[in-house]
Amino acid sequence: MNINLSAISMVNIVQGIMVVNTETIPGKVITDTYGVVSGSTVRAKHVGKDILQGLKNIVGGELRAYTNLLEESRQEAMSRLVSDAMARGANAVVNVRFATSAVTPGAAELFAYGTAVKVE
Amino acid sequence: MMTKSKGYTRHGLLVLSVVILTTLISSSVSAQDRYSEESGLSGICFLAPIFLLTIFGLVWAILYPTMLLWAFLFSGKKLDNMILNTAERESQIFSQLGKDPLSTVDGGYRKDVNKAGIVWSGAVYGPSHWHLLIAWINNLFGGSVDIFQKVISAGRAESMQRLRETAIREGWDEVINVRIDTAVMSPGTNKKGIRAVEVFAYGTGIKYG
Repeated sequence: MNINLSAISMVNIVQGIMVVNTETIPGKVITDTYGVVSGSTVRAKHVGKDILQGLKNIVGGELRAYTNLLEESRQEAMSRLVSDAMARGANAVVNVRFATSAVTPGAAELFAYGTAVKVE
Repeated sequence: MMTKSKGYTRHGLLVLSVVILTTLISSSVSAQDRYSEESGLSGICFLAPIFLLTIFGLVWAILYPTMLLWAFLFSGKKLDNMILNTAERESQIFSQLGKDPLSTVDGGYRKDVNKAGIVWSGAVYGPSHWHLLIAWINNLFGGSVDIFQKVISAGRAESMQRLRETAIREGWDEVINVRIDTAVMSPGTNKKGIRAVEVFAYGTGIKYG
């Protein structure tokens, strides 16, 4: 049961920008901050997959299509966060947090936010 | 993004046109029926949606109890197998590395870090409808609803195990500041829809060197 959901690796999303969820980057010094950067997305699967997952839900277990959906939406939110940080001229994003909300059944709103900083 | 929104508009237009066409056809058919009694084809046109709905209802009436029975027979065993599978992969990684690569400490306790980056993984787990039934009965009597605890802890263990596997695949030595979040797939106020919990684990992967 080896799962390789992400076709895009994180390395391709973060183009030279260090994205971490710690307050500081170990071994580096923060010299400047550029404010809060964020990225958000709402995604859904098509209705055929929704019906299939509804049937899968009756027998229980993992719902792969939704795992996949959330993985894709996190990558999209994260790539928006990174492009926001790049536009501000930062070279790292620290203290990244994720927030999820269920807008309607089967759709996921993903929100990633963090602080854009310059490190040395 | 633009192409996607255009796609949605196109789908919406398609559905709308189908609905309008069906209404027009059925209304014209019913209007015709008043004057000509012996129109077999138009009668079929008028009744076809109802027939389709009936067939769908019949299939659902057979399928749902079958799947519920299947869930009653096998879902407990399947859940146990999932938990065992996760535990087995976990112990494999422990024996491979000699320790747990995840930790919740914030920041560096070692100074020789040359690379850092975010790592995440998630798993959407849902109880079967049979489990929901048991949980409902448990809920009537109060106390701990063990079956949900089992499903969610299975999801959590699986999610953490995937975080370990992702970290190793992407070449991180260790994952610090691990946080675990849960999110429901459908709003709690909604009675219908998918009953599932998403367990999401994320942390900072660091590479020593």
